[in-house]
Amino acid sequence: MILDIKNLHAKIGDKEILKGLNLSLEKGKVHAIMGPNGAGKSTLSKAIVGHYDVEITAGDISYKGKSLLELSPEERALEGIFMSFQNPVEVPGVNNAYFLRTALNAKRIHDGKEELNAAQFLRLMREHLTALGMKPDMVSRSLNEGFSGGEKKRNEILQMLILEPDVIILDEIDSGLDIDALKAVSEGINQMKDEKRSFLVITHYSRILDYLKPDYIHVLKDGKILKTAGVDLVEKLESEGYDWIKDEL
Amino acid sequence: MRLINLTQLSAIELDECRNKHPKHALIEKVQTLGLPTRKSEAYRYVEVEPLLRETYEYAEFAPKPIVYGEKIIIEDGYVTTAPKGIRVYYSDFDDVNMNHYDPLYFLGHLLSPKVIMIEIDGDSDIELLHRFTKSNTLISYRIVIKNQTNRHASIYEYFESKNAQNSLILYGYDIMVTQDSTLGIIKNQTINDNAYNMVASHNVKVGKQASMMLKTFDFGDSSALQLLNIELDTHAMVDTGHLLYLLGHAKRGTVSKIVHKGEHTHSTQEAKNILDDGARGIFDALIKVEQSAKYTKTRQNSKAILLGEGSFMVAKPQLEIYIDELEASHGSTTGQLNNNQLFYLQSRGISKIEARKMLIIAFANTLIETIRDGRQQEKIQKSFEEAFYKKDLS
Amino acid sequence: MENKQIDTVVAGDYKLGFEVDIETDTVEAGLDENTIAFISQKKEEPKWMLKLRLKAFERWKKMSEPHWAHLDYEPIDYQAISYFSAPKTAPSSLDEVDPKILEAYKKLGIPLDEQKQLQGIAVDAVFDSVSVKTTYSEELNKHGIIFCSISEAIREHPELIKKYMFSVVPMSDNYFAALNSAVFTDGTFVYIPKGVRCPMELSTYFRINALNTGQFERTLIVADEGSYVSYNEGCSAPTRDEHQLHAAVVELITMKDAEIKYSTIQNWYPGDATGKGGIYNFVTKRGLCQGENSKISWTQVETGSAITWKYPSCILKGDNSVGEFYSVAVTTLAQQADTGTKMIHLGKNTSSTIVSKGISAMKGQNTYRGLVKIASSAKGARNHSECDSLLIGSECGAHTFPYLESKDTQGQIEHEASTSKISDEQLFYLRQRGINEEDAVSMIVHGFCKEVFSQLPMEYAVEAKALLNLTLEGSVG
Repeated sequence: MILDIKNLHAKIGDKEILKGLNLSLEKGKVHAIMGPNGAGKSTLSKAIVGHYDVEITAGDISYKGKSLLELSPEERALEGIFMSFQNPVEVPGVNNAYFLRTALNAKRIHDGKEELNAAQFLRLMREHLTALGMKPDMVSRSLNEGFSGGEKKRNEILQMLILEPDVIILDEIDSGLDIDALKAVSEGINQMKDEKRSFLVITHYSRILDYLKPDYIHVLKDGKILKTAGVDLVEKLESEGYDWIKDEL
Repeated sequence: MRLINLTQLSAIELDECRNKHPKHALIEKVQTLGLPTRKSEAYRYVEVEPLLRETYEYAEFAPKPIVYGEKIIIEDGYVTTAPKGIRVYYSDFDDVNMNHYDPLYFLGHLLSPKVIMIEIDGDSDIELLHRFTKSNTLISYRIVIKNQTNRHASIYEYFESKNAQNSLILYGYDIMVTQDSTLGIIKNQTINDNAYNMVASHNVKVGKQASMMLKTFDFGDSSALQLLNIELDTHAMVDTGHLLYLLGHAKRGTVSKIVHKGEHTHSTQEAKNILDDGARGIFDALIKVEQSAKYTKTRQNSKAILLGEGSFMVAKPQLEIYIDELEASHGSTTGQLNNNQLFYLQSRGISKIEARKMLIIAFANTLIETIRDGRQQEKIQKSFEEAFYKKDLS
Repeated sequence: MENKQIDTVVAGDYKLGFEVDIETDTVEAGLDENTIAFISQKKEEPKWMLKLRLKAFERWKKMSEPHWAHLDYEPIDYQAISYFSAPKTAPSSLDEVDPKILEAYKKLGIPLDEQKQLQGIAVDAVFDSVSVKTTYSEELNKHGIIFCSISEAIREHPELIKKYMFSVVPMSDNYFAALNSAVFTDGTFVYIPKGVRCPMELSTYFRINALNTGQFERTLIVADEGSYVSYNEGCSAPTRDEHQLHAAVVELITMKDAEIKYSTIQNWYPGDATGKGGIYNFVTKRGLCQGENSKISWTQVETGSAITWKYPSCILKGDNSVGEFYSVAVTTLAQQADTGTKMIHLGKNTSSTIVSKGISAMKGQNTYRGLVKIASSAKGARNHSECDSLLIGSECGAHTFPYLESKDTQGQIEHEASTSKISDEQLFYLRQRGINEEDAVSMIVHGFCKEVFSQLPMEYAVEAKALLNLTLEGSVG
């Protein structure tokens, strides 16, 4: 168990969105969360990374045996939690490579490793750029500024590859991607799979799941996980929707 | 009938103002602000000084009886006609905004012993005609508009004149847009051949959750200026703008100050200026967001097209902001018709003159089309085209 | 983010607030004809200069202090200021400069010795009222370039001074310019001859050190036909409880095909959080693009001063001439800045660019005021302005007052402005990647200023970034 969420209640503004959610992520496994719009999928991912919109009113999220709730967003990141944002924000004037080197070095210092100098880092970044089929000018452009939807998503994956996190949350990583981009992104993700790392894939569509081959499917509805099953469940959800699922508890 | 000279204000005898601010308070206000000169920021781009130096004929306050008619008609400062269902009467006024920036606002009140009160009941569409028939005369009147909560009202105002040369008209509104109501004002004013001189100075308070629309359409070859002071209470909205199509040596435009006082207030301001011959367009607009006005949204924009060799655009879109929780932006462009567009039209066989006309009309229409009422929109369209086709574009 | 946290992030301590203890020759406070005669005599000026000073003084007495700017400050007592302060021992070579002054400049990161020369930058350092040392003069002489203190220029190059001084900023141009014209103590003069590309960056460092003194320097740069120069100025002052006045005048002239690039990194003492102390920075800077195809470019990074009032301007007289203004102005604590530019288009096809970035934090008030005027003679003139404000905290203010006047039917003016705070979303994104809050704020602010920093010469861009960090980061942890 790398991440354990128990009886999580969370609000955004005055509205309670998560109502006693339980979920455990196993090491080395890919967990997919599916559910109708407004079920609380994004709130769940925001709660894990400590987003300012979300107020946790009850329950706990523990990571590697310790509660996350008191940690700042950057502390959670340094501990190894990474989220690929659904709509990565544009930060004008902040150089993409500079930003990523700063983030990587913060993590390396945290892990007791030596910082990478600019040349070492650029070598690393360029290798990944090529592998992801991204343009070399990603080094010099401003963070996400003027990126197409596909470029933004690939840039998220690039960051994930470089930061080498332990828990990876992919929030609608497939939205707005054409088939080539979807393949490249999926390959990037699959490349990261190993026995220590866990993935939490939040999605509406089964398309990406064909590539990512999740170990578990969780259905999130009305602020709770109502069903957990193997990948076979996807087909049923695709054809029958979510209405048939009732609280099993 | 007697003569009046505004530069010797304290020396002249005025009717005692019957409002909360006695005559001397208003005189003091005019004196501390000073009568506008060329150096006054708000009047820098119009020549108001010579107008104020003139000696005018000036009549004692003498209202006439009001008869019923289709619309409100105000002739030389007095109401002659008013429709049924709307209360129009003369009244004392004790709500002069002592924080207004415009000295002529106070002067207007000083010269108006009574205000014309227009109380709008329910949902109404009102037409208001200002008519001027006297020359060499100072015509000063203030109008107060009150509407009702949860009601929607609109006022369409327009202007007529006959033999009003060399008269100076000072008028303006004090408007309280009541909580939860909406009020729209559309002004249609064509002035040609220096038919009269006008400075209109308005004061608007938009109450909680209320919404105000104020769009003015100024055409012709003669000068005039309007000044706005607008304050927004919590959740209030204002949408204002002007369209100028000016010819000859007209100097016209808007000087405005919009103050966001309450939280969640919205303002948009849009100016379109088409300036031909030696005309001068003015857009001197300040948006102030006070510290109390969290979550304000404000947008301000001015676009000008200079067509004449001597035409001149003065754009001063200004933001004064004391809070960080807001969205604010403004922009201004001054230029010409887009050459690519012109060329595109010409390449389709349209003559250059016709293509220019099409683009100018299209530019004007972007603002004219924001008028929701179809009939009002048509009238504005007609006034614009009359002014526009008067000019030989070749 | 909690406001308190932001405050500690943005309220950097003033790191250049040390005072140098050296013997100075300071004239008693007060201003009359005798003071002016004293300054003129100290500077060993010719008679004609004294006459001009006295004329300026006569005009100044008839003028009144302007108050139209969006600034709020206590009245200045012009009789309480000392108008002249000089290190007692006047140096004639680097070896003779008081070691304490050299040390002071070292602290500021402005070594007047070999090191700076290796970087290929010629430096003139103005300490209180006098220029202490101009480096690299000989090398420059070879190219016929004159780079010296203005006092020296008055003595050695009277024909150039008579011709160009007051030609761009007339002595009675405004209240502070008139005061400067009467009492200016030192400053820099640069002349680049025809066709010469100045082989190195020129730089002046200004420091107000003595108590209760004002600094009134005057800079004049003339770039003759086809020449080019990049000139930089830096400023600092010790931490004091009293306000000190800095009223400088800068005049630039470019002839046909010439270019001047003028960069300023202004870090006068800003005063404390309650508005106590700090420099009043009232400066008149103006450039005249006299010749065709000439260009003047102003870049400024303003982080210091209690009050800043300055509008580096360009008069674009020559056809096809180009004016540029790039500015970053930071106001934190109780600082107030009313700054911007004027672009006056007179010649045909002239063009100007304005990029202004204002950052307000704590109780800082930041005003952009800019005038773009296109005369009817300026056929085909173009201007593009961008004025963005970044607000940090709920007590600061950002104000944008552009004046755009166009009389040209072929010209084009575009102005865009936006005001925003550091978005929570951006901050969160960076933090999710493991970057701490302080670094994330600094990163976003740097990104916001990037367009302006990229205009600075390399060494100064580094200095500007470091300075911004000092101002913004401060005493966390």
